[in-house]
Amino acid sequence: MKKKKHLANELNVPQKIVMYLLLVFIVLIMAVPMWNVLVVATSSRLSASQSGIKLWWDSFSLDGFQYVFTVTKLLRPFLNSLFVTTVATVIQVILSSFAGYVLIQKDLPFKGAITSFVMLTMMIPGDLTLISVYQLNKQLSLLNSYTGLIMNGLISGFSILLMRNFFETVPYSLAEAARIDGAGEVHIFRTIYLPISLPGLATVFFMEYVSKWNSIMLPATLVTEQNLYTLPLMLKAMILTDASTSGTSFAPDNAVMAAIIISTVPLLLIYIFAQQYLLEGMNLGAEKG
Amino acid sequence: MPRKKGDTLRKIKRYRGIYLMLAPIAAYFLVFSYYPLVLGIVNSFHKVKLLGGSQFVGLANYQEVAGSRLYRQALQNSLIVGVGTFLLQFLWGLMIAVFLNEVKRKTFKSLIQTVTYIPYLLSWTVVGGLWITIFSPTGMVNGILNKLGVQGATVFMAEPAFARPIMIFTGAWKGAGYFAALFLAAIVSLDNSLYESARIDGASRWQQIMKITIPQIIPTMKIVTVLSAMGVLRNFDQIFVMGNPSINDKVQNLLVLIYNDGILKFNVGTATAAATLVLVVTMLISFIVRKLLRYDEAYDGR
Amino acid sequence: MKKRRLSALISALCLTATAVTACGGGTTQETTAASTAAENKAQETEGAKEETTVQAEAAGGSVRILMNVTGGKDEEEMKLFVEALEAATGLDIEVEKPVSDYSKVMMQKLSGGEKYDLIYLGASEYANLIDQETLMDITDYVSNSQILSQNIDQSEWDDITIDGKVYAGFNKKEVHRVVALNNVMLKAAGIDYQSITPTLDGYYEVFSKLKENNSEADFYPFEVIMKDAWDLQPWMAAVGVKTGVVLDDSGKKYAPVSTETAAPVWEWFKKLYDDGLMDPSSFVDATSDMRGKMGAASRKNACCVDWAAWVGLHNSNALAEGVSEDDYQVVSLPGCETPDGSYMLGKGGASLFAVPANAENVEGAVKVLEYFATQEGGELLSIGMEGYDYTKDGDTYTQTEIGKAHGNDHGAPVPIYKDFKAPFGYNPGMEDALSLGNYASIEMTISNEADYKEIVGKWGIQMIRGEASIEDGLAGMRKELLERGVTEVE
Repeated sequence: MKKKKHLANELNVPQKIVMYLLLVFIVLIMAVPMWNVLVVATSSRLSASQSGIKLWWDSFSLDGFQYVFTVTKLLRPFLNSLFVTTVATVIQVILSSFAGYVLIQKDLPFKGAITSFVMLTMMIPGDLTLISVYQLNKQLSLLNSYTGLIMNGLISGFSILLMRNFFETVPYSLAEAARIDGAGEVHIFRTIYLPISLPGLATVFFMEYVSKWNSIMLPATLVTEQNLYTLPLMLKAMILTDASTSGTSFAPDNAVMAAIIISTVPLLLIYIFAQQYLLEGMNLGAEKG
Repeated sequence: MPRKKGDTLRKIKRYRGIYLMLAPIAAYFLVFSYYPLVLGIVNSFHKVKLLGGSQFVGLANYQEVAGSRLYRQALQNSLIVGVGTFLLQFLWGLMIAVFLNEVKRKTFKSLIQTVTYIPYLLSWTVVGGLWITIFSPTGMVNGILNKLGVQGATVFMAEPAFARPIMIFTGAWKGAGYFAALFLAAIVSLDNSLYESARIDGASRWQQIMKITIPQIIPTMKIVTVLSAMGVLRNFDQIFVMGNPSINDKVQNLLVLIYNDGILKFNVGTATAAATLVLVVTMLISFIVRKLLRYDEAYDGR
Repeated sequence: MKKRRLSALISALCLTATAVTACGGGTTQETTAASTAAENKAQETEGAKEETTVQAEAAGGSVRILMNVTGGKDEEEMKLFVEALEAATGLDIEVEKPVSDYSKVMMQKLSGGEKYDLIYLGASEYANLIDQETLMDITDYVSNSQILSQNIDQSEWDDITIDGKVYAGFNKKEVHRVVALNNVMLKAAGIDYQSITPTLDGYYEVFSKLKENNSEADFYPFEVIMKDAWDLQPWMAAVGVKTGVVLDDSGKKYAPVSTETAAPVWEWFKKLYDDGLMDPSSFVDATSDMRGKMGAASRKNACCVDWAAWVGLHNSNALAEGVSEDDYQVVSLPGCETPDGSYMLGKGGASLFAVPANAENVEGAVKVLEYFATQEGGELLSIGMEGYDYTKDGDTYTQTEIGKAHGNDHGAPVPIYKDFKAPFGYNPGMEDALSLGNYASIEMTISNEADYKEIVGKWGIQMIRGEASIEDGLAGMRKELLERGVTEVE
């Protein structure tokens, strides 16, 4: 899609130079650690154990990746995480978009109370519910089950508030008009709010996906069966095993970094996917304008 | 008075579909958040024994926490590092978002966005260790300083004076891409006609950024601030991984202390009491921030 | 009609809320509490009844175990582990293994009313759980069991006896930490490691020769993990001081490293730092950084204190990638000589299997502990599962690829059985390091070990960096140890 030439559509040259310099600087300091992870993951075991930050290979090797699949057996935990996270995030986005929609209703009785009710859930520190969360899951027979992994932390106040924020940008008059025409809430929600908020939905989906994918505390509480282990749990165990214990069985550094890459790749893929949505949303806005 | 009551009832009736949409979420929060919360608070008034036989001890756990110099210091550390991190992360993220919006090449844009987001995807156990190495006497920072003519090596991670700035910097570094994504999502959904009319008025692109882009995403800034305020005391992993005895006086925070005192020593009572206080302080902070930003009014007074 | 639907919804919500609070609530907790208390009592009397007749051989039934590092490393291997354990003990074994955050999960499980017959735990958890009356006194079971009392050195039992009582059996034999040295660097500097004078001055001389002989700017002969005062014992031995907390003549806790007696060692550390012989990263590095620098890939340090097993691991890692012994070899020494002519090394805090106070099958639990204290049990915990980690043909053991990757460690690299023979031997250099074990002893088990480490580390660093004089630093250390309840006298 080609845009029309506008009067002042771009920054002037000095501004652009400053901007690009800053961007390059930011990108550099944010990329270094990931680059380091990549290099170590693809180095030989001995070379991976070298101290300091490693930014180039002295011996390329894929042994680390082989190790995590044959010895650590990360495939099952990887698939577990993929399944649990995807299901939970989809449910979460649907339910929290409902709640976000509720919170933008004009003069809805008890709206303040509902908002506080949602917000309070975001402030509870995990240390406070430590014991009771286990008891709850035991009572509901959710220990060692996929249902348990999906249900715990299913909905977050965070995404509800974000949804509300995105719905806010939709002109309220549109909904009012539809309501006067006799449209039901679900219809209004589906035909007016969801399409306009697609970039927002994509953002929430991705952010929740990341937080669920990386969650450790609740799965650690729920799962003691090895076929239900999730990826971040395995990762944490791999990273922390050699921490001042006298054991001799631990994953070599290249395998640990390989595992980190494996756990990051799905998120990156989804991110790139979500980005497309953001760009489309942008185009949509441009056409509309 | 009775008429008002009738009004409310009528409104409830009108919004019945709306309430129905809320039902599953309300039920979920009651079961998975509020029920454990209540039990946790009950525990905080007990001397909890793991195999049962807990005794009610009134406010003893709270007195222990409140009377501890370490906890007071930790509260101060949590607030300073938390607020500092938030401010830097906010500016950093905003800068990325605004700049990215100016980058025209699609591949370049998408590359930068992805790279700046990566730190957010990695856990502190991974990046904490990397930063410790970067700041080590033989690490990158000292290397650069030496090239610039600074003599000798500084053990940054052991210098109390650098402790908080380092935690703030690395914390912001990790979260900036995430804030940037939120800001960018708001920027791209802005109405183009706003820019159109500014251009006709002869505003430069820089003026458009300052006069349109930034003011228009204030609601998003507000929500980011409100959300962050609730997480300001929640930082555990970073300090747990990057803290050390030389700097702990400056950075050790509440959750790390709760972990040391409550979890490692199985003092459930103390841990839950301290966690309840964290909750109360968080509610207070959140309340103040919401009032300062007039956050709630923004949604009600439309 | 519509009204009815709404009120139905509201009442449903209320119902959920009340059901949730009522059926859980304080009531559950109290009942669990009451019932477990009652069970404890029942258990105690039962235990007393059977005291005289306990015959672990006759035990049967099922045993439920909460494990941490021990056992199979994946589902398949864990199944084999459980089968092997069942075949050997004749019990039904059920194993639960949380993957991370073990102590948090253990706490949740125990307080959530789960019942186990054995739980894995470390030394400080052991002390804390005894304080909470969570563990069962199994002293009589131990003394009545031939295997437990004869296959395990008495000194091991002494280490875990608290107020005359034993509450657990062993997962593995704890090894000790030795002074590890890069022998190739020593040779290049013209030093025979076996003739190093075992004094602070002797080591100082060695370090300065090593430094002179190496031109790399970021090479430092010596590194110590000061961050959590990780094993200062081989050096503190020079003044005969034991690390950790010790009871004084009147039975009060104090920390010898914080006394004036230890001052010469702190001065020695300071001198090493001032003269550029101690790695300045010592203040912030974790053990993994230390190992990286000591390893064949970096060789940035030539001396540190580490587990005996790590001496072997450094060597075998190098050999595995074709670095010969002429290029890289790590050897071990016991550190400085004490004033009375011996040595002192630090030993790891025990890793144990304890019996919770509400265990239902104590006999079965004891039987498992007995099995772990035999040659066969030791093999299971070290080299792993037959047919998976290794194959056996008569007396010849052949290790599989998986077995090699598991590093002869399925919970116990060195099993607790005192005459254990490792079928595959140990890594090069480890045997020598292990032979220094008779100089090793554990630190007193205290519940606030983390506080001890932090305080000693903090003041130690200040003294070494010259921010506090040795005298002021030690006084500050003593004061803070006392204030935070780690010690009882200064």
